[in-house]
Amino acid sequence: MKKLDLKVKDYPELAVSWEKTLINKTGTWRTFYPKYFPKTPPCNYYCPANENIQKYIALTLKGALEEAYLTILEKNPFPSITGRVCYHPCETGCNRSNFDESIAIHMIERFLGDYGLNFVEPKRKSEKIDNNKKVAIIGSGPSGLSCAYYLLLNGIKVTILEREEDAGGILFYGIPSYRLPKEILKSEIEKLTKRGAKFIFKKELGKDFSLVDLTKEYDAVFLAIGAQIEQELGIPNEEAKGVLMGLDFLKEVNLKRKIKNFGKNVLVIGGGNTAIDCARVALRKGAKVKIIYRRTKEEMPAVKEEVEEAIKEGVEIIFLTAPVKIIKNKRGEVRGLECVKMKLSGEVDETGRRKPVPIRNSNFIIKGDTIIKAIGERVDLSILPKEIIGKKTIFADEYGKTNMEKVFAGGDCVTGPKTVVEAIAYGRKSAYLILHYLKNYEIPKKESFNLVSYENLNLYYFEKQKRIEENKLPINKRKRNFKEIITAVSDQEIRYEASRCFSCGVCNNCDNCYVFCPDLAILKKNGEYEILYDYCKGCGVCAHECPRNVISMFFEEEK
Amino acid sequence: MKESLIYGKKKVVTGNHAVSYGVLLSKAEVIAAYPITPQTQIVELLSEFCASGLLKAKFIKVESEHSAMAACVGAAATGCRTFTATSAHGLALMHEMLHWAVGGRLPIVLANVNRAMGPGWSVWTDQNDSLSQRDVGFVQFYCESNQEVLDTTIQAFKIAETCLIPVMLVLDAFVLSHTSEPVDIPYQEDVDKFLPPYKPKYFLDVNDPRAFGGLTSPDHYYEIRYKIEEAHRKALKVSEEVDNEFYQIFGRKYGVVESYQCEDAKLILVTSGTITGTARQVIDEERSKGKRVGLLKIRLFRPSPISQIKEILTKAEKVAVIDRNISFGHSGIFCQEIKSILYNEIRRPMVFGFVIGLGGRDVVPDDIREIIDFTYKADYPEEMVYFRGVRL
Repeated sequence: MKKLDLKVKDYPELAVSWEKTLINKTGTWRTFYPKYFPKTPPCNYYCPANENIQKYIALTLKGALEEAYLTILEKNPFPSITGRVCYHPCETGCNRSNFDESIAIHMIERFLGDYGLNFVEPKRKSEKIDNNKKVAIIGSGPSGLSCAYYLLLNGIKVTILEREEDAGGILFYGIPSYRLPKEILKSEIEKLTKRGAKFIFKKELGKDFSLVDLTKEYDAVFLAIGAQIEQELGIPNEEAKGVLMGLDFLKEVNLKRKIKNFGKNVLVIGGGNTAIDCARVALRKGAKVKIIYRRTKEEMPAVKEEVEEAIKEGVEIIFLTAPVKIIKNKRGEVRGLECVKMKLSGEVDETGRRKPVPIRNSNFIIKGDTIIKAIGERVDLSILPKEIIGKKTIFADEYGKTNMEKVFAGGDCVTGPKTVVEAIAYGRKSAYLILHYLKNYEIPKKESFNLVSYENLNLYYFEKQKRIEENKLPINKRKRNFKEIITAVSDQEIRYEASRCFSCGVCNNCDNCYVFCPDLAILKKNGEYEILYDYCKGCGVCAHECPRNVISMFFEEEK
Repeated sequence: MKESLIYGKKKVVTGNHAVSYGVLLSKAEVIAAYPITPQTQIVELLSEFCASGLLKAKFIKVESEHSAMAACVGAAATGCRTFTATSAHGLALMHEMLHWAVGGRLPIVLANVNRAMGPGWSVWTDQNDSLSQRDVGFVQFYCESNQEVLDTTIQAFKIAETCLIPVMLVLDAFVLSHTSEPVDIPYQEDVDKFLPPYKPKYFLDVNDPRAFGGLTSPDHYYEIRYKIEEAHRKALKVSEEVDNEFYQIFGRKYGVVESYQCEDAKLILVTSGTITGTARQVIDEERSKGKRVGLLKIRLFRPSPISQIKEILTKAEKVAVIDRNISFGHSGIFCQEIKSILYNEIRRPMVFGFVIGLGGRDVVPDDIREIIDFTYKADYPEEMVYFRGVRL
């Protein structure tokens, strides 16, 4: 029928196209094209272990706790530990912190970690132990344990040599149990033992065996001896009775031993985490505690929350003050500390902080009967062969390769004193290098990061929501005990917190692109989106309306 | 609000809330509206119904009335039962989109609370806002009481969906919109029986994607426009059928026009909106004095109930049309309509036009009496239009 023969009755009620609009391939109009282009959320990026934080939060929100827990384990075998002691740079980097408050990632990690303590992971094929491949790990601190875990996962026979009588290294002897209860650590180590890790206690490198001995007996050796020697102050009378080493002091307390020459007025020197731990532990031992630190609160390397807690508990911090001389009595016992007032100069030191300089004639005396030195730790190089020693630490590449055949190293003994999570990350990387060395495994490729910044997000889709708060033991209940300060929160609170996550750079099927596409050029298929480039005009609405910057626009020529 | 407190009860509600209850009972699926006095209460209550979940509709907040109608057009195009409400300047701002609703054959229901146009700024009633939209192609109902408002709202959806033409129901500002009267709220199941879910003939369908309202050449435009005229003619019939069907279920009917005491009337008043109620009372009084006067209430303005009007008015000697509106430089708009309907009749009455009550000035029984007396005495309308109550 010719169209001009049409009568009124032949027409539709309204002007509607004769043909389906599909014949009009509007995609040819496009100069830009959109693409689902997932990016790196800042939490993952800033995590020293590069945990896939966004993913495990999303899984937690779905209630898939098992999967969420296993997701952490891909990068960090001990979330119950890091959930408690990590300084969580993930939260500092969290985009939500610019919006209202960052996600309480450490609480979610701790929740999953605790969930995992009672969870038996499915055994993988790769875990079948190959008796021909034996690795010795020296030191059972975080990097040693982490390395052990990833080696065990891949069928390597692992023996861990520990000079003390308990496993955990700094986790056991350094960190006070009000931050990391011993049962938690024990459970994690038990899980590792169940996987097949063999511990040999009270065997010390340099005393009971040498590195060369081990290289003969084992196919590879991983050095994870940490940085355990407290640095000297370099001032007169350091040998006085009542002068204690920070880590030694913590170790004695952790072993529940009686501490020699421990008085009622304790002066802690230093501004790092060891200093704060020492101060808070001394407080719990019934002493009055002052911290002496040569710069201001701003420059303190200790974790901020810990500093605040210490102050709340009653620790006094004397800033811009440096020790000059220890004052002792005739019996050689500490009676006080002569100090000098400091000021911050304009000059910046190698740590990027302003250098403190003494103010002339400002010396004064602080009374005290115990001095705890906590100005930093160093590696005991005396027990190591020269060829693997670098400047102040063991010399190794970022995967732990040293200059000695079969010998690998990681954690604080390579980096100098750093954090638990960094040691764990190093242990994992070294494990993969060892696997490469022993079983020709491919070393995991370096991840490339395409960071999502706050400006990349479309914030119209988010509402302000308060961050969950930690349950803390009241100050008056912390006296003279080592009960864990932060207690668990409910499943509901964790689920709520997980729901606050922006999911930066990672699609969470919010359907905005699907809903907003004016050309219906986005299809949903099995929970995924597909762009119909035949019809997409490249308007960019999908990319703009994506709250989390998953979709990017590209020039058509680049396709 | 508890459901048991609503359905099947006699409630004292304002005209505005009568609309809201009508929309609730009609189970509208999308509501897009912008607040404007004196309409706001309609959508205010609807938004509460939506928020409480009583009405499972999507309530779209928009930035203007133009957008409100645009959103309704979009929603209705997907096959949803769609509602909006406005007044005066809001309706004027919608103007372009009203054409879209008609041309797109979208059965949107719009409640317009008659408010005078500014400037001088006014919130009070007259009919110029809705009558300015006479030619866009909306069906227009003018209501007299709050019960009629509620019932017409429900009927409007049925008429609109049967004929694929949008419907505007009109109520007077304040005199109805803010005045409470007892109103029977029907049972939901009765309304469901009367008004089943909307089954669209055309809708945006991703599985059969087509362009709607695209460029239409002179070869086709006229035919499609003619179909709108057909729809209006159908709507006149359907309005009567729907009214009868409504009566079967709910026991109330209004007719497209209402003839009151017209059978032997020498003089018939023509009114719309709330003036009708006042006039009805005066007619009763005049009748008791022996005057043969009657009243024709125009409820359906578009499509024009031409034959019904002719049948009633050609029997009279004189007709007095009371307009709460004005087409400047001519006369009242209802008056023009009545004249044009009667013009070709061989036997036709003399038509007197009266403009009254602009900008919400009260129209009281004395005004109606004066109009009756004047028309009774006059032999011929010397003036095209008489301005009642203006202080000259």
